[in-house]
Amino acid sequence: MNPVIETIDIHGAELNRRGFLASGGALVVGLGLLPAGAQAAASNTTLNPAALSSWIEIGADNTVLIRTGKSDFGQGTIYTAYRQIVAEELDLPFEAITTVVSADTDRTPDGGGTFGFLGDVNGTGMPNLRKVAAYARQALLELAAQRLSVAKDQLSVADGVVSGGGKHISYGELVKDQNLKLTIPVKGQINGFMGLAVDGNPPMKPVASYKIIGQSFKNSAVVSKVTAKELWVTNVRLPGMLHARMVHPATLGSTLVSVGQVDKAKFPNAQVIVKANLVGVVAPDEWQAIQAARQVAAATKWSDWKGLPGQAKLFSHLRQEADWKSAAVSKGEANKGSVAPVMTGAAKKLSASYELPYMKHAPIGPTMALADVRPDGTVMVHTHTQNAQQLRAQIALMLGITPDKVVVRTYAGAGHYGRSNGGNAGGEDEAVILSKEMGRPVRVQWMRADDLQWSTQSPAAYSDIQIGLDAGGKIAAYSADHYMPAMQDDRPIGAVLAGLPTMPAPGDKNAPPSQNTLYDEWVYDTVLNMEERGHSTWQIGQRNSPLAAGLRDHAMRTPGQYQQNFPREAAISEAAVLAGADPIQFRIDHAKEARLKHILERLREESGWESRPAASSNGEPLRGRGVSVMLRSGTYWACACRIAVMPATGVIAVEKVTVVVDPGIVVNPLQLKRQVEGGTMMGVSEALYEEVAFDESGVTSRDWQSYPILKMGDMPEVKVVLVHRPEVGSYGGGSEAANALAAPAIAAAFHDATGKPVRRLPLRPAYVKELLTA
Amino acid sequence: MVSITVNGKQREVQSAADTPLLYVLRNELEVSSPQFGCGLAQCGACSVLLDGKEVRSCVTPLSMAAGKEVTTVEGLPARWAKQKDLPAAQADKTLHPVQAAWIEEQTPLCGFCQSGMMIKATELLEKTAKPTDAEIKAAFTTSGPSAHLCRCGSYAAILEAVRHASVLMAKASST
Repeated sequence: MNPVIETIDIHGAELNRRGFLASGGALVVGLGLLPAGAQAAASNTTLNPAALSSWIEIGADNTVLIRTGKSDFGQGTIYTAYRQIVAEELDLPFEAITTVVSADTDRTPDGGGTFGFLGDVNGTGMPNLRKVAAYARQALLELAAQRLSVAKDQLSVADGVVSGGGKHISYGELVKDQNLKLTIPVKGQINGFMGLAVDGNPPMKPVASYKIIGQSFKNSAVVSKVTAKELWVTNVRLPGMLHARMVHPATLGSTLVSVGQVDKAKFPNAQVIVKANLVGVVAPDEWQAIQAARQVAAATKWSDWKGLPGQAKLFSHLRQEADWKSAAVSKGEANKGSVAPVMTGAAKKLSASYELPYMKHAPIGPTMALADVRPDGTVMVHTHTQNAQQLRAQIALMLGITPDKVVVRTYAGAGHYGRSNGGNAGGEDEAVILSKEMGRPVRVQWMRADDLQWSTQSPAAYSDIQIGLDAGGKIAAYSADHYMPAMQDDRPIGAVLAGLPTMPAPGDKNAPPSQNTLYDEWVYDTVLNMEERGHSTWQIGQRNSPLAAGLRDHAMRTPGQYQQNFPREAAISEAAVLAGADPIQFRIDHAKEARLKHILERLREESGWESRPAASSNGEPLRGRGVSVMLRSGTYWACACRIAVMPATGVIAVEKVTVVVDPGIVVNPLQLKRQVEGGTMMGVSEALYEEVAFDESGVTSRDWQSYPILKMGDMPEVKVVLVHRPEVGSYGGGSEAANALAAPAIAAAFHDATGKPVRRLPLRPAYVKELLTA
Repeated sequence: MVSITVNGKQREVQSAADTPLLYVLRNELEVSSPQFGCGLAQCGACSVLLDGKEVRSCVTPLSMAAGKEVTTVEGLPARWAKQKDLPAAQADKTLHPVQAAWIEEQTPLCGFCQSGMMIKATELLEKTAKPTDAEIKAAFTTSGPSAHLCRCGSYAAILEAVRHASVLMAKASST
């Protein structure tokens, strides 16, 4: 490499010029200036530490390439909002950003999970690329000042052209024939859950002068997907590749007694591979692998196990048998006042318990991965993951090798809503184990039943809530105890079955379960006495399963907050009924935050809400309406649902859902609208249909009939209202929470329609009829 | 050896006759838009047109496609060009109105189900040029072996895209 001939400080970043090039030229914005610990981590986790990937590359032809450790799971953010944010900070046209490289461990700089795209999970609205672009802008201005001999503060930029003193020069001309590298400060761990974060405070473009953020640019991945040009993970093929299907144990606690043999007359090229309790069948032909795996499964014997309470006894088990004392109790940050005496003296009191079932991420495509373990011990995994760097670390741990031997490449795939945000979704580890055994690339495709029965799930939960009203019908005291088994089991299940090393479970035989964090941000600031506690226990069946499996829990869209916001908002609606108050006005009366009050007022207008106390309707169908609110990752949400209940059949039709969203700055209105619509549909699906069926041995939901989700014929009309508040100055999370609003609003609407409160989901017809006759 | 026509081209296929068409398309013929979703005809991710009728390729044995015409998303532009008698030069640059509407409306979220959704929309619009909302919902819910499922919840965007495609097709017919 050429020696550095010039170094310039750029707000704490370092711009280096290394000689000149005969052709081409670029400004490459990469990471560096790592604190000592992070430096070691980064060099351990890249194949070639000398070639750390850059965030942004600005070429002599005025095109720009951006890279991110996050992947796309249908949010579209990396192809739309990220381009807009970079283009905005650099004053470039959106179209100048021609290439987006994402979530390949050897080709992207920062790692981190695919969540909190527009900031961190606390809603700071500061994605890495925003700061990276801000540093790059300052470096380009510095270069332009030199070239034009005009002071930096006399320069302006438009469409990638820097002007000042009557002169101008494009970014492309600035970098032409130059070898420039801008090294910017970072903190964190590349293969940690959050990855690396850009450090320092480069000057940002003022929000008031935004031109590109706020426009509805289209998603380039939509074009490639609609025209069948996308390279989906399902399409990746390697020479000599074998297809595999897994023969998973008979129960979540079964060990292998004897493995079935392949009928070689029927499947001459198929082969069984066994490693402890991991059984896979491989064949060069996919259909042969499927049929041979079925034949082997039928002939394989497993020990019996009945270590689960079964679905019917789930909540009695959780209440009476589960150990909630071993995990530390979480206490809400907003806890205040003295709840107990005020509750005792309350004029009216609501005491209610709410129950939520296990739910499945249920991707439309079951998980799959293609692994190539090479003779030199290096490993390549082709998959669809939300956290490629963590998956890389998990594979390395499993094989007892260092992460620098593992590369994870990420492709488009079926959305799975948080299942792989800590690395694996299922199958990646199995593909690696089988590839190592076979010495050839192996593609593991889970079947629909594998995906429902052997994946993690969103944990069941229950909450006990008390609300005391004063004589004026206002909330004098609020108390909530949230109970949920430990979440975020990121152990790869194939490694668990094969008896290979994994990270620990979220609480194992010797360690207490991880805490139940209080995820749902409190918004009723006028309440003087309130307390929330989070209680945790071990995953059901995990400690008594000889496999250490059981019902493994994992974050799923709006994790934890879904389980805590439903009971809170359902109870607030019930308290409004108890107070004889309108549920929107009741919420406004208990809020201080202007943004929350505003979206509730907008909700009242946009949903055509008539202010009245709760009044059960007459006749058939019974109609009602309900409301819910949430604060998540810097974004305020309010939702109204109108439903019709058919008493004769127990069927609920959700007729209309209105959602008002205030994320602060709206980056891309069209994309945000589609995200909110989609999340709302998922929320209606969860409220009406979704519940994991399980018996004493395992999950019995095995297809779309035993795990039903919303169909198009049952979709509500959805109205999305976006509230753009540039003065907030940050980008709030825009899609994740959208699934959590409908359920509490539907529950309140049912109460409004029928006079019967809903304290359990889902609202399937049999349960609705039970509620109506109670 | 089985002979099938895929996206306008006759193909001689080596796969065993009982192989589901999905695996023949994806593994032998490198036609990859139909996706494996359930293998049970319960979701529609693998849908293709077989002589113009939407079928689930995950449960359709190759033998049932013998001598028939299979259309996938890769073949939608050519199918449209043929129906409209477009000259070859124009056909190469043309998207099927269903694809154009899907892009214009930004319909896909993760997009894994959308190949099947576009196939279903094409079947519907070839039979019913101006479907009502109720007819669109019925097509995607009750008309086939199962509803077409979207886990990301793009149903509103699909409804709008089908309406949009219907308008584009009507415009093309009137010019």
